[in-house]
Amino acid sequence: MPLAHSPSAVPVTVDEAKCIADKGCTVCVDVCPLDVLRISDLTGKAHMKYDECWYCMPCETDCPTGAVTVQIPYLLR
Amino acid sequence: MSAGQDAIQEATNEVACDVLVIGGGTAGPMAALKAKLRNPAARVILLEKANVKRSGAISMGMDGLNNAVIPGYATPEQYTKEITIANDGICDQAPVYKYAERCFEIIQELDRFGIRFQRDGNGDYDVKKVHHLGTYVLPMPNGDTVKKALYRQLRKAQVLISNRFMATRLLNAPDGAVAGAVAVNTRTAEFLVIRAKAVILCLGAAGRLGLPHSGYLWGTYENAANSGDGYSMAYHAGAGLANLECFQINPLIKDYNGPACAYVAGPFGAYTANSQGNRFIECDYWSGQMMQEFYNELQSGNGPVFLKLDHLHADTVSEIESILHKVERPSRGRFHENRGTDYRHRMVEMHISEVGFCSGHSASGVFVDEFARTTVSGLYSAGDMANVPHNYMLGAFTNGAVAGEHAIDHAGEIDLPAIDVEAIARERERVLAPTRREDGIPPNQIEYKTRRFVNDYLQPPKVTAKMEIGQRRFSEIREDLETRMVARDSHELLRALEAASILDCAEMAAHASLYRTESRWGLYHNRTDFPEKNDADWFCHAILRKADGRMVSEKRPVTPYIVPIEAEERGAYDRQRVRRQA
Amino acid sequence: MPVTDPFENFGDVAEIALGLDDADPAVRRVAVLALAETADPDAVPHLARAVADRNLDVRRQAALSLGGFDGPQTAEALAGALTDPDKAVAVAAAESLTELKDQRAGAPLLPLTGHADPFVRAAALRALRGLRLPEALGPAVAALGDPEPAVRAQGVGVIAYLKQEAALPSLIAATRDADAEVRRAALGGLAFARHASAVDAIAGALHDSEWSVRETAAEALGRAGAAESAEVLIAVLDDAAWQVRQKALRSLGRLKVRRAVTSVVLALSEEMAGLRKEAAAALGEIADPTARAGLEGIVNDPDPDVRKTARWALGRLAA
Repeated sequence: MPLAHSPSAVPVTVDEAKCIADKGCTVCVDVCPLDVLRISDLTGKAHMKYDECWYCMPCETDCPTGAVTVQIPYLLR
Repeated sequence: MSAGQDAIQEATNEVACDVLVIGGGTAGPMAALKAKLRNPAARVILLEKANVKRSGAISMGMDGLNNAVIPGYATPEQYTKEITIANDGICDQAPVYKYAERCFEIIQELDRFGIRFQRDGNGDYDVKKVHHLGTYVLPMPNGDTVKKALYRQLRKAQVLISNRFMATRLLNAPDGAVAGAVAVNTRTAEFLVIRAKAVILCLGAAGRLGLPHSGYLWGTYENAANSGDGYSMAYHAGAGLANLECFQINPLIKDYNGPACAYVAGPFGAYTANSQGNRFIECDYWSGQMMQEFYNELQSGNGPVFLKLDHLHADTVSEIESILHKVERPSRGRFHENRGTDYRHRMVEMHISEVGFCSGHSASGVFVDEFARTTVSGLYSAGDMANVPHNYMLGAFTNGAVAGEHAIDHAGEIDLPAIDVEAIARERERVLAPTRREDGIPPNQIEYKTRRFVNDYLQPPKVTAKMEIGQRRFSEIREDLETRMVARDSHELLRALEAASILDCAEMAAHASLYRTESRWGLYHNRTDFPEKNDADWFCHAILRKADGRMVSEKRPVTPYIVPIEAEERGAYDRQRVRRQA
Repeated sequence: MPVTDPFENFGDVAEIALGLDDADPAVRRVAVLALAETADPDAVPHLARAVADRNLDVRRQAALSLGGFDGPQTAEALAGALTDPDKAVAVAAAESLTELKDQRAGAPLLPLTGHADPFVRAAALRALRGLRLPEALGPAVAALGDPEPAVRAQGVGVIAYLKQEAALPSLIAATRDADAEVRRAALGGLAFARHASAVDAIAGALHDSEWSVRETAAEALGRAGAAESAEVLIAVLDDAAWQVRQKALRSLGRLKVRRAVTSVVLALSEEMAGLRKEAAAALGEIADPTARAGLEGIVNDPDPDVRKTARWALGRLAA
């Protein structure tokens, strides 16, 4: 029983030009209560890996460079 | 993305401590801190499945205290009386009274930690009286810093913090006392065995029980991380859970599913209104009765229901916004902006939340006494999951403190209890089973189906035949969960374990609701086939627990009141009820 | 073998501080965050160095992070940042200064109350307010003559938090300030003094040109006054602003002003339900039997809160 993926517009976006995860910053990943953010091995920047968001905002508020934006998930907007 | 991230690692670690606190939200940090400060030589571990810095119901803080019992404004007697009435009399008063006595000391302590409460021109607490009963609100203008301030205290006191470890089961000693817990790392799936002399459960509400109308699993009223793991663990360890049929249902902003915080806006002149802009709530108490009135209005020709602020002065609205859009659920401002809702010109549509368990807002929780002790020796509980009715954030802090102090003393009197190695091996196999499968059903589908059936079959008004169908559906899902659920990495394993907690809670919700054959607590336990309150048979707690591997419920008398309630005051709640049904 | 240390490890302060010497400002910023994370007072000297970094983002982060620490060394570092050429850094420092609780942190702030820059003067006074240092009284009184309203308002705050009767004349003078916010702060700050001169000053402000000032005065009188001196509130029950009428009703109830009953009964026919409720609540507080007929007239009010409050008030009359 193979698994399929269903697409979804993620609520959390990261401005890669501002993100300093590649310099050792892990703030947004650390503070997410649902643990849905990761730092990409490819780009070294933070991104939303799992669309399981409570739109609670610590990632955006605590980001030292203002790189993270939280939108209300589309289904609720 | 490499295969390395979230990959499953086979490893087991074992540690030991005096007091283990599970849950780093509100009650947990305070419990750990108080335990450590009382005995700095002791080992105190605080275990959290997210990160203590921003976890739990108040990850973004809180806009105010809504049940502050401050000398000169309210008395413990007044408060205890109000909570007793709001719970239709089913209330052991000792823990409520103890909270009321101690909470002011906790407010002052939080103040010293750097959490600011609103002050008047002379620097004294600016307490807002909401109505003529004993309820007082103390706004917190920088409530967004609560978690950080607590975290600094934990660091200073050198509490051992374990982030990203999800506890799965408690360990029992041969005599049944608690002996520790097992946990699994949410990013590596490593196993951790924690032996402890006392354990304090502070895992918050079961907020991922009902499914929000949006259908988005994470769009819950409670922090979506609060998946009821504590209720499930307490149950499997043999602890009694009280009055789970008294569901949590709250008024909230429709779709956004966050609190409307009428209690914050209330002192400024805002209120809950129907579509004509008129008030309609008769009930004086935040209670199931109030929620029933809310529900009735939603269903009536006067519905839906709104938060009305459009009559206030623009400056006043700005002041309210500055509080509400910064703290607790700050994305709320963004939600209104998307829809072009300006409080000044338009009422905000409200709705009622999905169902859950939460004693912080209602009365469904693990049974505890005035020392936060559960019915299992050495096991404590505090916060939203512990049955001290309506205790909110300040109750979590205060009862967390009570639990921490008592638990560390208890730990000082005993040796580390023995653990059952075989039980740990079995638990390891249970936890890792979804990772051993090549394919099957992913956790999100198991969870969605469970929660949809919670809505279909358990949501009040409750109907016996429907709840029984619900039970059958849940056992079918259990079969799938135990034999077919698949987790491909550590993160999915976390979700799989949460799905198991959610299913446990769904089964407990059905069992508890069927057991109490009367209606009580307004909408929370409104049974259409037993529409009347029946004090003769049901003026008691209903305690659910696991006995010989099965779910059982039994009656437990309400402890005689220490603050007497006059017959007339007791009747006030009933009169409102009669008016509704007329 | 375990692959993860089960406990959070924040590392060694001196080692983390090495990152502050990195050529890359982003690395320095990450070091600042890590230093703050330790919550170790030993991090303060390093953060003090970072708040003077050549990169403004590093300086701003350090100013924010210092908010988690206390003591004179923290205060001194933040005080220096108040004159940062970048406003964002200065504002962050001003915010962090308000977190101080240790009275010893006041020493480096006192001289700043005479600084040439009004932003620095206001920030220093705002930080001093919460510390409640007796030595701050003199500079605060002097600040009431400052040309900048923001500085005067902060000066009022310092005096009001100290609650010293000796400073009453300065607070009373500030109730007639040219700036409405200063007047409001002064009125709110006078309420502690149950002194005739204070009550007179508050009563005088009930006729201020700004509704928000009148509202503050009506509320303050409820805290400062006694039943007799509060009779002036009766005259405010027909104020054009409902907020003023609401606070006046609340204060009349709080002080149980019996002579106000007839006027408060008239307020039971206010158009806004919230005001009818407030009037009913005040009558319940005063508990004068002559209010009975008026209250009975609203037990069937269309608004449930008004009905409930009327029932409660009638109960108080009966008791």
